[in-house]
Amino acid sequence: MISCTEFIPAYSELFKFLEQRGGRAAVLDFWNYLSDNFLGNLKSAVEANGIRGCRIYWNHTLNEEAADFTMELDEEAGEFRIDMHHCPSMGRLLELTHIEPYHDYCGHCDVIYRRILEPLGYDYIADMSHCHEAKCSLLVKKKPGKTE
Amino acid sequence: MVKEVIRRTASDNVYLHKDFHGALSAGIEYLERHFGQEAVRQYLRQFAISYYAPLIEAVRERGLVALYDHFAEVYKEEGAEARMNLTEDELFIELDACPAVAHMRQHGYPVARLFYETAKTVNEALCESTPFAAELLDYDRQTGRSIQHFYRRPL
Repeated sequence: MISCTEFIPAYSELFKFLEQRGGRAAVLDFWNYLSDNFLGNLKSAVEANGIRGCRIYWNHTLNEEAADFTMELDEEAGEFRIDMHHCPSMGRLLELTHIEPYHDYCGHCDVIYRRILEPLGYDYIADMSHCHEAKCSLLVKKKPGKTE
Repeated sequence: MVKEVIRRTASDNVYLHKDFHGALSAGIEYLERHFGQEAVRQYLRQFAISYYAPLIEAVRERGLVALYDHFAEVYKEEGAEARMNLTEDELFIELDACPAVAHMRQHGYPVARLFYETAKTVNEALCESTPFAAELLDYDRQTGRSIQHFYRRPL
């Protein structure tokens, strides 16, 4: 059995395997598949609660992942923000000395969440420039004209 | 309206996000659909050999007790009751239900047809370069109930 605490390296290795088999296109296709087939809980939370659905979704996942973060919800401004001070996933990968993380491990976050949120009327703005330090930020912003 | 702020540090929570089992299952399903069932086994073997390299080395050095310690920890953190029986040459692990499968069933995540390979192929890979071998004696796809057997290879 692969424990859920061993999932992150298992996923990183899956991305490598897919790239070996089908190139970058296979990795991107899988991320799209994952978004379409695994993130129904984010989609339904946002459909039911508007931008508050982001808080509901990420408050659940990031607490279970024991992440070090600051999360802000401003419903009046239509903004939701996460500052990830230490990402538990990338942090774990960086701690491993015997395997290398997939070269664009953090790229999946940008693809899978954007694919859910943009069609629902939100801009998804991610800053991945400090991924190599297990730090990132994301801003979800209601598009002009969208009502909730 | 007031801005809501949540601040958490790693020490505020225990790292246990069982929904990851559903994501792994989705990965296995995708691999089978697009690259075939042999790709699932190749991926899991490749993952096991690279990620569990320190554990495999421990099995070479300490024998089956290294696997006993590893799986005892895994099932403890997953909250599963595993009956484990260890001798110098054999290790049996009996589960009434796989905690990963139980979580996926409970939360409505599809369980990949080949999800059992996370036990079968991974266990075989753990033993591949050691004096031991692994076999999955019994597996129920609905619950993940299983009997896993590790044994010393005949000379």
